[in-house]
Formats: sequence, C-alpha cells, structure tokens
Amino acid sequence: MKKNRTMIIIFLTPAMICYLLVFLYPSIRTTIMSFFAVESVSDPISTWSFNGLENYRTLFNTAIFRQSMRNIASIWLVGGIGVMVTALFFAVSLTNGMKFSKFFRSVIYLPNVVSAIAMGTMWINYVYNSSYGLLHDIFATLGMTTLSETLWTGPDKLFWSMLVAYSFGMVGYHMLIFMASIEQIPKDYMEAAQIEGANVFQRFFHITLPFLRGCFRTNIVMWTVFTVAFFVWGQLFSPVNLSNATVAPMNYMYEIVFGSSASTTTVRDSGAGAAVGVIMMIIVIIAFSATNLIVKNDDVEL
Amino acid sequence: MAKKLRSLDHHTQVRLIPSYVLVVTWAIFTFVLIGWVFFASFSTSQEIFSDSMFKFESGFHFENYIRAWNTQKVSVYFMNSLMYTVVSCTSIILIASPAAYVLSRFKFRGNLSIQSLLASALGIPAIMIVMPLFSLVSRLRLTNNRWLLIFLYIAMNVPFTTFFLLAFFKSLSTTYEEAAYIDGCSPMGTFWRIMFPLVQPGIITVTVFNFITIWNEYFMSMIFANKPKVRPVSVGLFNMIQAMRYTGDWGGMFASVVIVFLPTFLLYIFLSERIIQGVTAGAIKG
Repeated sequence: MKKNRTMIIIFLTPAMICYLLVFLYPSIRTTIMSFFAVESVSDPISTWSFNGLENYRTLFNTAIFRQSMRNIASIWLVGGIGVMVTALFFAVSLTNGMKFSKFFRSVIYLPNVVSAIAMGTMWINYVYNSSYGLLHDIFATLGMTTLSETLWTGPDKLFWSMLVAYSFGMVGYHMLIFMASIEQIPKDYMEAAQIEGANVFQRFFHITLPFLRGCFRTNIVMWTVFTVAFFVWGQLFSPVNLSNATVAPMNYMYEIVFGSSASTTTVRDSGAGAAVGVIMMIIVIIAFSATNLIVKNDDVEL
Repeated sequence: MAKKLRSLDHHTQVRLIPSYVLVVTWAIFTFVLIGWVFFASFSTSQEIFSDSMFKFESGFHFENYIRAWNTQKVSVYFMNSLMYTVVSCTSIILIASPAAYVLSRFKFRGNLSIQSLLASALGIPAIMIVMPLFSLVSRLRLTNNRWLLIFLYIAMNVPFTTFFLLAFFKSLSTTYEEAAYIDGCSPMGTFWRIMFPLVQPGIITVTVFNFITIWNEYFMSMIFANKPKVRPVSVGLFNMIQAMRYTGDWGGMFASVVIVFLPTFLLYIFLSERIIQGVTAGAIKG
C-alpha cells in the first residue's frame, strides 16, 4: 500500500500540475480580477483596486458588448437549431441503411479537421465572392440576377453569411455524436417496428428521439462551449476592426485586454475583460446544469 | 422471409431518396469548396478573377507553392507547427497515461473529484484562463518562447487526454497486474512494460485527435506567439491572408491555405475511422 501511494503521487503529479497551472489557478485569478479595476493585464496585484460589480456594470453599459451578447445569442439559438436539425437529419439518414454511409459521414465531418482560418478563407474568397463566387455563379446560371449580384459579405448580410459558414462546419461534429447514440439503440426495436408497419416518422419520434435525450444534453452543452469560444470567425469576417455584425464577447475581450493596433475606439480595461470571461463561464455552467436537470427529470418519469 | 427483408430494403432505399439528395449535395458542396482552393492554388491571380480558372490556359503554376513556401515564410510556420505538435503530442501521452492508469486502478480519497475536475476542463473557455497566463508569462519574460507554447499545448490537452484514456485502462483485466506481480515486476514496471502497450489503440486515437487540435489551435498561439519566427501555421496563415489582400498574390495565398490544411487533411484521409471514434468516445463520456 505504501508503495502504491508513492506510485499514485508520482504518476498523478505532472497531470495535476498541468491542470492547476493552466486551468484552476487562472480561472480563480480571472474571477477575482473581474471585481477589481485593472488597466493592463500584466499589472501586479498591488495596483488593483476593488470596485465590486463596477466592471460588469460598465460592460452592460457598453453598446458593442451588448451587441456581442446579442450576436452569440443568435448564434446559439438560430445557428444551434439549424445545426442540430441538420445534424440529426444526417445522423438518422446515415444510420438508416444508406449506402456509402461511412464515406458520407467522413465527408460531412471533414471541415472539422481543417483549420478554421482555411475554411473561412474558402467561404469568404470563393462562396461569397460577388464576381466569381459559387453563389454568384449558381444564381447567375439560374437567371436570378438580384441574388447573383448580392454582396453576401456586405454589412447587412455579414452576420448571417458568417453564421452559415460557421454552422456548415459544425454539423459534422454534432452529427457524429447523434450517430454514436443512434447506433446504440437496439436493432430489434427498429426491425420490430418496421415489420409492424411503423413509418419513418413514427419510428423517429417514438423510438429514436426518446433514446437520444442524453445525447441532446451533450450536444447542447458542447454547442454552448463552442459558442462562448466564438472568436476566429468573427475575426475572419471583420479582420481590421470590431464590427457590430460579427463581434462576439471574446473578440471584444481581446480588443480591450490585448488591444489590436488598428483600433482606437476602445480603451484598455483588463478588469472588464476578466468580467467577460466570468460571464462566459457562467453561461457554460448554466447550460450544463439546465440540461442536467432536464435529463434527470425525464429519467424520473420513465 | 428473405424476400420480405429484401423488399423492405428496396423500400428503404426508395424512401431514403430525399436523404440521398441532401447528403450528396452537402458532400458535393464540401468537395467543391476544397477543390476550388486546390485549383485556385495552381492558377494566377488574373485567372482566379476571370472565372476561367479551371481551364489552366497558362498551365499549372507550381511556382505559387514555391513562392508561398519561401517568400511568404510558410516554411517557417510549417516547421514550427510540426515541431510543436510532435513534441506536445508525445509529452501529452507521457503525462496523461500514467495519470489515467492510476485513476482507473487505485481507490484513494479524491479520485472521483480529480476525475470530474479533469472532465470539467473541457468546459472552461480559453477566455477564462488566458489573462492570468499572459500576465504570468510576461512577468517571466517568456512571450515568444517556443517551449512556453509547447507547455501550453501540453497542459491544455492533458486533462481531456487523461479522461479519454481512463476508459481504456478501466477495460483492461486486472489479471495482467496479478501475473506481473507474481513474476516479481514492480507496479511501475508493470505499467510501462505491460499496461501502457495494451492501450495502444486508445493512444493512437487520442494522439491523432490532439495532433489536429494543436495544429489548428489559433487563439492561444495568437496571444503568446506574435513574432513570425515562432508562429505556428494558423496564426501565420491569418497574418498572411491579411497581408495578401494588399499584395494581391491570390495564387500564393491559396497555395498557403493548401499547405496548411494538407497535413490534417491527409491524416484524416488515412485515419478518419480513428478520428471519428475519438470524437464519439470523448463526447459520450463527457
């Protein structure tokens, strides 16, 4: 037993140091920092001055931060519904006896292994390009001139263009999670229902969906985690300055803490930056607990 | 019965037609998207703009790649990323697998709490941890240090990897350890010589997964590596794209995009089954 104790300590210490140094310590320090007035991120603690919830108040009084929260709310809700419906549809189709399903599954997941920067470049420079882009060509061939001449990355369409491009890549990940759960549904259920004459929709609503409750939880939590970390796509679609259409809280935090050189509109405020971090963390915790509750309540009913 | 099943199958295929249409359209779109960049990377900027790209009237322009690789410093970013990913992926396994083994095998106080702590790391957004790390790093004057970047890549991926490998160690029978003990092998020796090699499938899966994550990592790298000399591909590519808008070298820009996504793309072509297993196994437990 004594021997095991040393072994446990030796084997566990490096991993725990990683966790403590990179996850636990920074999380605690960010939380504390969010209650202090801190100008530069590298200011020593002695220069911090306590100001309670002032940072949070400042944030919610800042128009662009409120806009960034509205943006991720749209991403979460509209993008989330779009992605989940598409992912579930593909997952059900591919597990329902489609030919070449492994091939299609790999292709649909493919955008996830390609760098987001590369994917974004393809969308911006090809799909959305208004003179030689894919959408332009398709609509021009169909004779829809107004649509073919649309400036997809113009200010009024920018957010939705960005959301479509982002969601396109996310479908594969959520589809895989749905597929893994669907494959665990005993085959006999489906076969029995099929022989008894239940149609696709009946089978889907009465067998597949009830089995997928836990899987929805995973998908919603992960979607929330990805949404609060929304950053690269916002930067790709508005590379120079923060724009109302594409700003996400993380872009705003980057601007006020690390400040990109091009911007003159924002002042350095690391305390507020920390508060952005805490708000994002709280959103994840809420998503996690809320979905946990839903699943637990359902289990009681069973 | 066989006939009935076959007709059921036929029926299924007919009813799946709408699914086929959508899935095939989606797949074609993905191919067109990636294929276009690939073709564009062999064209001149004029051809890209004039819609006559696929004809290759002026031949294939391999010099786009040479230009990207040499003048645009893609070679530097590529080599940096290669070094970062290889060193980090190896270290992650060396740190995470002993921890996973101990957590899966021994009962001790705090074991379960440690497991849930590690799992929770997946939900901690980078925005929550980046500021204290940056302030620590700048006080230690370690910005733009290769080893610091590698340390961050390692530490950020150890919790998930440990969590992922736990299940693999749990599924191994304890008879291996008993036999090794009887033969006089020390517990640590047993781990490295017997248990570690047995979880090889899990290690390969999670390593491929880590490779892709680290290769594509953007946010942390952008903050901690702002000198071109230490930049990994994702940050390098972003800066290149911004610069390319002004230089107008579109062929070179698309060549850089291809160079950057080619390693993960090739890895995926050969190992897509493993990667997919990794996603689903990790997510179900999470």
